[in-house]
Amino acid sequence: MLNLPRWQTIVIIAITVLSGLFALPNLLPNRVLDVLPGWYTQNRINLGLDLRGGAHFLLEADLRSVLTERLNNLSDSVRAELRKQQVPFKEVNVEPGRALIVTLRDEAQRAKALEAIRAVDPSLAVSGTGDTIRLAYSDQELFRRKKEVIDQSIEILRRRVDETGTLEPTIVRQGDERILLQVPGIKDTTDLKRKINQTAKLAFHLVNEDVAATGQNIPATLPPTTSLVPTREGMQDLRRSNPKAWEEIQAANPRLTPEQICRRYQPQCLPVLKRVVVGGEDLDDAKATFEQQQGGRPIISFTFNSAGGRAFCTATRANIGKRLAIQLDGEIISAPVVQSAICGGSGIITGTFTTQQTQEQALLLRSGALPATLTIIEERTVGADLGADAIRAGTIAALVGTVLVGLLMFVAYGPVFGGFANLAMLVNLLMVFAGMSILGASLTLPGMAGLVLTVGMAVDSNVLIYERVREEKALGRSAFSSIATGYERAMSAIIDANLTTLIAAVLLFGFGSGPIRGFATTLSLGLLTSMFSSTIFTRMLLAVWVRWRRPTELVI
Amino acid sequence: MWKPVHLFAFKKKFDFLGKRKAALILSTLINIVALLGVAFVGLNFGIDFKGGIALQARAKQGPAQLDELRSIVGGLGVGEVSLQEFGDPNTVLVRVQRQEGGPQCVAGAQRVMQKRAGPGWQVRPGPAGTGDVEFTATAALDGAAWRDAVSRVSLTIVERQLPRGTTATAKVDMSPEQRAEWCQQVAIKLVEDAIGDKYEMRGTESVGPKIGDELMRSGIWAVLATMAAIVIYVWFRFEWQFGVGALIAMLHDVISTLGVFVLLQLDFSLTALAAVLTIAGYSINDTVVIFDRVRENMRRYKKLGLIDLLNLSINETLSRTLMTSGTVFVAVLALVLFGGPVLYSFSVAMLWGVIVGTYSSIWVACAGLVYLKLRPDQLRPADDEAAKAKA
Repeated sequence: MLNLPRWQTIVIIAITVLSGLFALPNLLPNRVLDVLPGWYTQNRINLGLDLRGGAHFLLEADLRSVLTERLNNLSDSVRAELRKQQVPFKEVNVEPGRALIVTLRDEAQRAKALEAIRAVDPSLAVSGTGDTIRLAYSDQELFRRKKEVIDQSIEILRRRVDETGTLEPTIVRQGDERILLQVPGIKDTTDLKRKINQTAKLAFHLVNEDVAATGQNIPATLPPTTSLVPTREGMQDLRRSNPKAWEEIQAANPRLTPEQICRRYQPQCLPVLKRVVVGGEDLDDAKATFEQQQGGRPIISFTFNSAGGRAFCTATRANIGKRLAIQLDGEIISAPVVQSAICGGSGIITGTFTTQQTQEQALLLRSGALPATLTIIEERTVGADLGADAIRAGTIAALVGTVLVGLLMFVAYGPVFGGFANLAMLVNLLMVFAGMSILGASLTLPGMAGLVLTVGMAVDSNVLIYERVREEKALGRSAFSSIATGYERAMSAIIDANLTTLIAAVLLFGFGSGPIRGFATTLSLGLLTSMFSSTIFTRMLLAVWVRWRRPTELVI
Repeated sequence: MWKPVHLFAFKKKFDFLGKRKAALILSTLINIVALLGVAFVGLNFGIDFKGGIALQARAKQGPAQLDELRSIVGGLGVGEVSLQEFGDPNTVLVRVQRQEGGPQCVAGAQRVMQKRAGPGWQVRPGPAGTGDVEFTATAALDGAAWRDAVSRVSLTIVERQLPRGTTATAKVDMSPEQRAEWCQQVAIKLVEDAIGDKYEMRGTESVGPKIGDELMRSGIWAVLATMAAIVIYVWFRFEWQFGVGALIAMLHDVISTLGVFVLLQLDFSLTALAAVLTIAGYSINDTVVIFDRVRENMRRYKKLGLIDLLNLSINETLSRTLMTSGTVFVAVLALVLFGGPVLYSFSVAMLWGVIVGTYSSIWVACAGLVYLKLRPDQLRPADDEAAKAKA
């Protein structure tokens, strides 16, 4: 038990040193960190919002209303199609948030009616008997639409909340219909809440093909009907090649107009006619799909409402062969060439796109207004100085706790055994820090409490071992043998004791949210790493010590 | 160098289980009182579970005037309000009950709009049974201006909810539930407007009715799932009696901890729930170490009576039990003393948990093994002989 092979000793030391290296960036002062290379210092523990200060919102999207609205649109189309196919019907009703009920005048027309409905939307799930037809979105379609609404809301939030790209917000979906929005370091949430409500401006403009304006060759004067707008790609190139210019643009107050940006920084720009062909508010939907024929290239399909459809029809008929620029918040996200008149209220954009590109473009097209009302159902805002107070309190508690536990161990087990246990406790703390850095976990205030608790609980393994060693010694075993047997016999209790607490901690992680997860994280990490530090690591120390001092009698 | 001090080196011959009847009565009493307390006095649920608003405000000058604040915030029409000093005399925690979205919330929204958007604004509730709210502006506004205006009371609206063109009134349709959630935001604004000039807001927490109910449900599940998982683990590792004994000890600890929350009227929040679960884990941690020794001794001393066997095992592990409880106790004590007001409920509960967890491992879990007849043939040979002698 105490005769460790050399390779084991090396592995144990290596793990300890590595943990120390991973934990170190968290403990060094900023002055030193600035000198060290970035790849080493970037893996640090994130502070949770309750320590760092910031805002946390849980937003719920009103998907039911969105669905009802879609069903209303659908009912219009179904009515129109039934009339076109000359299927007499009594009524078409919307069951809010659920389904569409079509009541026919003549049961015999059912087959014909179903055919007409299939022409409108083949994916609808059909049920009902006799003269009633119940139409609902299939579960798959419902899931897709919900996901679409949430994804779109997230994209809009990202654009709204982080206009300058400096806030590092976390915006993720939670469950079916919720979005978690976290903005660290923000003080005024009023402004944030206002931004959530803003809309992006999406509009279709014709490109003025008579003006040649590419790169540096921008004519000094443009026709009064035309203005310059940078393309999205152009802006991204600028951001990459000239970050300083990008920052200037973001910081400019008042904001620069697209034309000013084009003239001053010369990203890739297009001359577009100022007149709006169709506004974003008339765009109903846009999605990434694949072409039916010709090998199924990825394309973007879009649908207008009736007013938008009419305007689009007139504009495309008169401008075949010209480009139509799609402008979002002062950037052109796409400028496809009009291939033919688009009059059915829906059209497609083709090009050499990858699937990812079509998805991104479709998302951008949908990024006009929020698709669903977002209600704040949970808000937690912590001021930066409150966070600083929490850090101070947590740190003091952790230090005092560690010192007290250390003293107790020293008194109870003496300088050697107590010292080894305390060394193991410090190694354990380093390993928790290292683990959290590697996992990218956040340290919260309850997390600090978990750390303090871990300190108290992690020495338990050593207490178990040492008490067992004392018992074995009392039985008259030699120094060497009592240590070896002590470790061996204490193991089963150590594993049981740690695993039961670990079960509680892991379940807490599963059920808990936010700061509580931080507590569960530090506690479970601490218990796991203590299995290494308190048993394997101290056993190595003791093995070395026994071989060196060759004690005839154990002082424990 | 100093010599180790055997902190708990007494003779180790306590007849722990001889006092099992007294312990049974004590434990039962504590638990009944705790349960009655939870049922009739009730836990002091924090906003995490009940929903509501908690604002931490610090006076810009001098100590916080609790009485003055109470009358100001109490007069806002936001329902029940409670105030307490938080951490230091300058800081106060303002708690407002969860908002149900009644008509006085709409009146509150009007006050917020008049303060933040202009004095002429009017906000009126829509028809009964809906959550609709009608806004009247001082001038005709277009879509973007409407969005901006209503966002001053933290309302987000979508295109569909806006009137076409520019108008001076907008009816925003909402379900009653959505209005209740929105009223939380209105109440925050009202409190901020009312005390904002003298107090600085340090932190705001708002939990809407929906989330509160959900957190409550998932909290109960968490406790049940944790206890079930631990009992199953113990049951697999030991014999069934150990599982039952551990379960009873854990219930004892969890229930009595809830009793402490009632007795001290500690805030029962998510962190408090974490404390309860940790106590459940700690309770078993302690119990399992003794059980482990019991199992070992059962193999070693085949003839020993159950009570002697348990007493022996408890005595053998006693110094470990006390030492570990000691280290956890001092660590938690540091949290109580220095951890700050946010962690206070958590730390106090944990402190109790350490004490009761240690007690229950011996007098509930092990005593349970006696009542569950782990070794049915012989409880204590001496007792048996005494009984025989009597007969």
